[in-house]
Formats: sequence, C-alpha cells, structure tokens
Amino acid sequence: MRRSADKARSLKRKGVTDFQIKLITLLGLLILWETLSRLGYISPLSLPRPTRLASTLWDLSVYGFPTDITVWLHIRATMSRIVQGYLLATVVAIPLGLIIGRSYLLERGTNPIITFARSVATISLLPLAIAWFGVNELSRVLLIMYGAFWAILTNTIQGARSVDTNFINVGRMFGAKRSRIFFRVILPATLPRIFAGLKIALGISFMVIIGVEMIGTVEGLGALIQQARFFYKSDMAIDGTIFIGLLGLILSVLLDWVERLLLPWAVGLEEVKR
Amino acid sequence: MRTARLRQGLMASWSGFILLIVFWQLISSVLITDSSLFPGPVQVMRSTMQNLALARLLQHLGISLQRIGLGFAIGAVSGIILGVTCGWYRTLGSVLRTPIELVRPVPPLAWIPLAIIWLGLGESSKVFIIFLGAFFPVFTNTYKGMTTIEPNIIRSAQMLGLKGSRLLLRVVVPATLPDIATGIRVGWSYSFGCMVAAELIAAQSGLGYLIMHARELGITAIIVFGIVLIGVTNLITDYLIQELILKRKLRWHFLGTEQV
Repeated sequence: MRRSADKARSLKRKGVTDFQIKLITLLGLLILWETLSRLGYISPLSLPRPTRLASTLWDLSVYGFPTDITVWLHIRATMSRIVQGYLLATVVAIPLGLIIGRSYLLERGTNPIITFARSVATISLLPLAIAWFGVNELSRVLLIMYGAFWAILTNTIQGARSVDTNFINVGRMFGAKRSRIFFRVILPATLPRIFAGLKIALGISFMVIIGVEMIGTVEGLGALIQQARFFYKSDMAIDGTIFIGLLGLILSVLLDWVERLLLPWAVGLEEVKR
Repeated sequence: MRTARLRQGLMASWSGFILLIVFWQLISSVLITDSSLFPGPVQVMRSTMQNLALARLLQHLGISLQRIGLGFAIGAVSGIILGVTCGWYRTLGSVLRTPIELVRPVPPLAWIPLAIIWLGLGESSKVFIIFLGAFFPVFTNTYKGMTTIEPNIIRSAQMLGLKGSRLLLRVVVPATLPDIATGIRVGWSYSFGCMVAAELIAAQSGLGYLIMHARELGITAIIVFGIVLIGVTNLITDYLIQELILKRKLRWHFLGTEQV
C-alpha cells in the first residue's frame, strides 16, 4: 500500500507513467536494433533484425522447422510432457507430503533423504534415465516428475507441519473425527503452501523440459532451438526462445489465476511472513 | 522433554539415511540380476574406482567449480549493481528493467543454443549460461529489497544529514542485504543446475560431461556416482554460502529472531 501510494505520487509529478517509459524503451530498443542491423553493425547471421524475426515467425508457424513440425506442434509436444510429468508429481507428492508433515518422526526420518534428493540436479539424472529407459518420452516425463516432485513435497510437508494447532484443537473440541479434521481443517490450511510448491514446481518442470528436449528428439521447443542451432539458423533459435519465454509467462499467469479462484482466503499470502 | 524429542528426531534422520542405503543395496543385490545397469552402493564405489582415476575426477570437478565460480560471480555482482541502480533511480530503473523483465521468463537453459551461436563452443558459452542462472534471482531479490525498504530507516538517516551516495551505500544497501543474501542462495542453486545442463549438452569436460560420457561408455556406476557427487557438491557449497554470508555478515539481521 505504502509503496504504491509513494509510486503514484512520484509518477504524477513527472507526468509519465511507468508503463509509458517501458513502452518507449521497448520501441527505442527495437528501432535501434533494426537500424544498427541495417547499417551493418550487427551481423545478421548471429543476431537477425526484428523484421527478419517476424517473417521467420510466419515460416515457423506455417511451414515449420524441421520441415512440417510447426511451432504449434512443438508447443503441443512440450506441453504434453510437462502436463504428464507435473500431474504425476502432484498426485504422488501431495498425499505423501500431508502424511509426512503430520508425523514428527516421519518428517525427521525423511528429511535428510529429501534434502539430498532436492540438491541432486534434475538434469543430471538424464544420462541415468536414458541408460535405464532409453531416449524416449518415458525418460522425459519421469525427469519432469522428479524435478516437480520434490518442490511440491517439501512445500506440502512444511505446510502440513505448520498448521495452527488451535485450528485442530477447535475441530477436536467440536467433536470432529480424525478423518474429518484431516479433510476439513488440515488440508485447507495447507493448500496455500501447496500452491506455493506447485508454482515453484511449474518453473522447475519448464526449465527441466527445455534442457531435456535438447537431447535426442526433434519435437518440442527445446528441440526446435537446438536443431536451429545445429543448422545455424539463429533467427529460428531466437524465435523459439521467444516462444519459450511467452509460454513460461502464460503458464505462471494461469497458475496465479487458478490460485486466486480456488483459494480466495490466501490472497495477500505474499505479504505474510512465512 | 524438548531435548529428548530433538534427539529422537536426530536419530530418525540418521536411521532414515542409513536405511535408504541399506535398502538400495538389498534391492540391487537381491532383486536385480543385472548389476551393471542397476548397481548398488558397493558396486558403484567399486566400479568407479576401477574405471575412473582420481586425478581425472578431480580435474572434472575443478573445471566445473571454476566455471560456476566465474559465471556466478559475474552474475551476482551485476545482479546486485543493477538491482541497486534500478531501485535507487526510478526512471533509469524503468528503462533498464524493460529489457531485463522481457528476458526473465526465458529459462536460462533455453539460452544454450543462442549462447553457442553467439559465443561458440568454448568456455564463455557455459559461463554465460551460469551467469544467467545467477543474475535473475540476485537481480529480482535485490530490486525487491530496495523497493520494500522501511521508509523510516531512510528518513532517520536523512534527518541525521546523510545524503546521496553515502545514504545509498551506508544505509540503503546494508538494509537490503538480507534480500541480496536470499537472491545469492537461490542464484547459486540455479547456476548449479545450469552448469550441469550446459556441460551435459555442450561440453568436453566437467561433471556434467563426466556422466554423459559414462552413459556413452555404458558404465552406469559412474553415472550414479557422478549424480551423487553433483548432489553432494551442491549441498556442501550451499551450506558454505549460507554459513559465510547469512551467519557471519548478517548476524545483526538475525539477532533476536528465531532464525539464529
């Protein structure tokens, strides 16, 4: 509140909004880039100019690269992998996290394993997954699952552990059974934290899949930019990278929206110290 | 009562860890016949010692640490400088943040192909990817710290006559340090993942290359050993950073709070 008020005051003084400054900067950068490129200061081979990127965008969405795999098919391949691995992780991690989080000994006993498993770089499991399952969809989905799993699990555990004891006591006082307390008190109280984990996990899955797709496949956004690199098509690589950024942005906005829809009581969670 | 519970917890931690290793060994020696593909802890150690000279292992480890050290240092320093600048000068901040925020949603790994096109297959492309992994968390956290600073701190300093760069460097930046520290820790774990990925996809040396190469040679034991080594290195370095920065330099921040 304080911040936005301060901000509004200072901007009114200057007569330009933050948004206007950003828009002007963006346009300025694009024009500068285009001009420098046309004047020959930037090599079109390594950094093609914006107009070139726009026309490549058309090629990518109509003809595709490699031939016939349009950018939409790449997005579909990437998304389907993310969804599969992410859902698998969610389905296993949330119940497990709730159980572990409600038991002190279980929490302590699994803690070192979880700490270690989290610090294993997910992408470093790729060679092992390839050796075990081969270069295929299963390996990719399992890697996403691994990356997402630990983020969701640790957050669920933290959430379940720190449920206010008073909530549970009140439930008990009203004579609720254990199962009822679990589903009506502990689960809702843990949900905001679970969502925090889901958000982190989505970012991780997205990062993992792009890396994983760079090895052994031609379908998917990661594969697109890696193939473009092999053939030195920097315009395709840049466009693909832009698509990856956009997709990541859309996914995180979507999850924010779902969170607000499902958890109206968790609004302002960012402001709460946790 | 409390210490007894803590001791119980500590026991549970250790037994959990030991149980896991015993369990792993049991499964691999009882259930699984193909121990070259699914090695147990004993086979992993034995096979790694046979197939991998210690000097070579240390060489890979050294190269990886060198890369991450360089990339992380550049990323953290530029992240702090830009974050402080963007937080202190509002209009300049808006201008600088435009390109940064446009680029931010792209995961660092997605830059690998472009890094190779721009910088070639040498060291600089890997360092660049690691740099990106460190830069964004450090920048975002520093900027957040700068913009959410308690105004009364600044007002008090101004009342005492501090102005300009002295106000910035003596009061505002120190007040932002806890957020910078958070950024540094997150940034370290990001750049660690970036380092492994970059070495896996495009390198001829380093820990990531070590495990990818072991797969080509078909020595699963080295892959497993490498994965564990990467995990352990990550744990140790993260712990060191936490100890160094959070406990020593920022002790004042945690005094009187639970986090001590």
